[in-house]
Amino acid sequence: MKKLLMLMVLGVFLLTGALLWASGDGQEQEEYDEDTYGPKDPIIWVKPVKSVVFEHKVHTMQGGLECDSCHDDLFEMEAGVAEENEDFTMKTLYEGGYCGACHDGSTAFASNTRCTACHIGARGQARLLGADGATEKTH
Amino acid sequence: MKIDDLEKMESEDVSSLSSVERRNFLKIGFAVTGMYLGGSVLSLVSVKNAHGASASGVVPELGKYPYNPHYSMVLREKLCIDCERCKDACVKTNNVPSYGFRTTILEKRHSLGEDKYETIFVPVLCNHCNRPPCVRVCPTTATWKDEKTGIVVMEPSRCIGCKTCMAACPYNARYFKEEARTVDKCDFCFQSRLSKGVMTPACVEACPADVRVFGNLADPASRVSQLVHSPETMVWVLRPETGAIPNVFYINS
Repeated sequence: MKKLLMLMVLGVFLLTGALLWASGDGQEQEEYDEDTYGPKDPIIWVKPVKSVVFEHKVHTMQGGLECDSCHDDLFEMEAGVAEENEDFTMKTLYEGGYCGACHDGSTAFASNTRCTACHIGARGQARLLGADGATEKTH
Repeated sequence: MKIDDLEKMESEDVSSLSSVERRNFLKIGFAVTGMYLGGSVLSLVSVKNAHGASASGVVPELGKYPYNPHYSMVLREKLCIDCERCKDACVKTNNVPSYGFRTTILEKRHSLGEDKYETIFVPVLCNHCNRPPCVRVCPTTATWKDEKTGIVVMEPSRCIGCKTCMAACPYNARYFKEEARTVDKCDFCFQSRLSKGVMTPACVEACPADVRVFGNLADPASRVSQLVHSPETMVWVLRPETGAIPNVFYINS
């Protein structure tokens, strides 16, 4: 009788373990795939102002956009090209260029709202880049 | 007197005190304490001269500014993106060393749950207070409030570098300049620009988002005056509880 009870308890343990294992597995399946979703590291623009962040993950994996939603129409695939353009300004965004194509207030939040959602500033950049960038801030 | 006679006399210790007498004594005590409390701790008497720190808010009433021009700055906080162009411009204009600052930007970050944050950048600089704690503590009168403009100015040649003003400042707006062995601070670019006829500080000119608005608060037509005196605008200052009555105002519209 006692042996049976022990076996049952052991069985429950194993079952729970297996379930937990499976659920852990499920999370790993959602791993970020750079070929599907674009570069994993955030892009940080420092021109014309420091420092603006763009994350592919937020827009593709979470937002459901395809690569050709933006490339190569709004943005060149090559990193850092938009930044060199003279018209890479908030004014262009308000007129529907670059990010402003979606960030117009109907598809996504308007470009002239929620400034600090993208403008992470010098402090935000230091945080993203880790300790080496953040140390210069002490006074 | 014989001991027998003494024992017959009425005792004078507290046990023989009538309760009425005791109450009267306590009443006097409470009255005296109450007078002091009412005067200093509770401040039941209104302070008439302290414009700005009154219950009506942090903004003094129009026409009650002690200076003219009464220079002040309005910071439209939510527009700040921490691009630090103001800092760079200030460094260039006023020869600020790399370890110090006359103006800087602070960051408030609060969690929205699930790894999401809202960030608010807070530009800070000398608040050119009406009751500046730094001026009060300076042992050599090296810093004072300019009688014409209300700007808190420094005379480096008088400064002995004791740093007492740095400790007194509620806004951490002063730093010790190693090269000069004196304390340095924002003067609304008075030396570098205002006194030479350029009517905006360098940081105001450099800001791409029109966060910093500078002007004469005593002039009702000025933009600063209109911003802080417009209806439905919430205006706040940093650390109002210090009683320094600052002249740098924050708004969000």
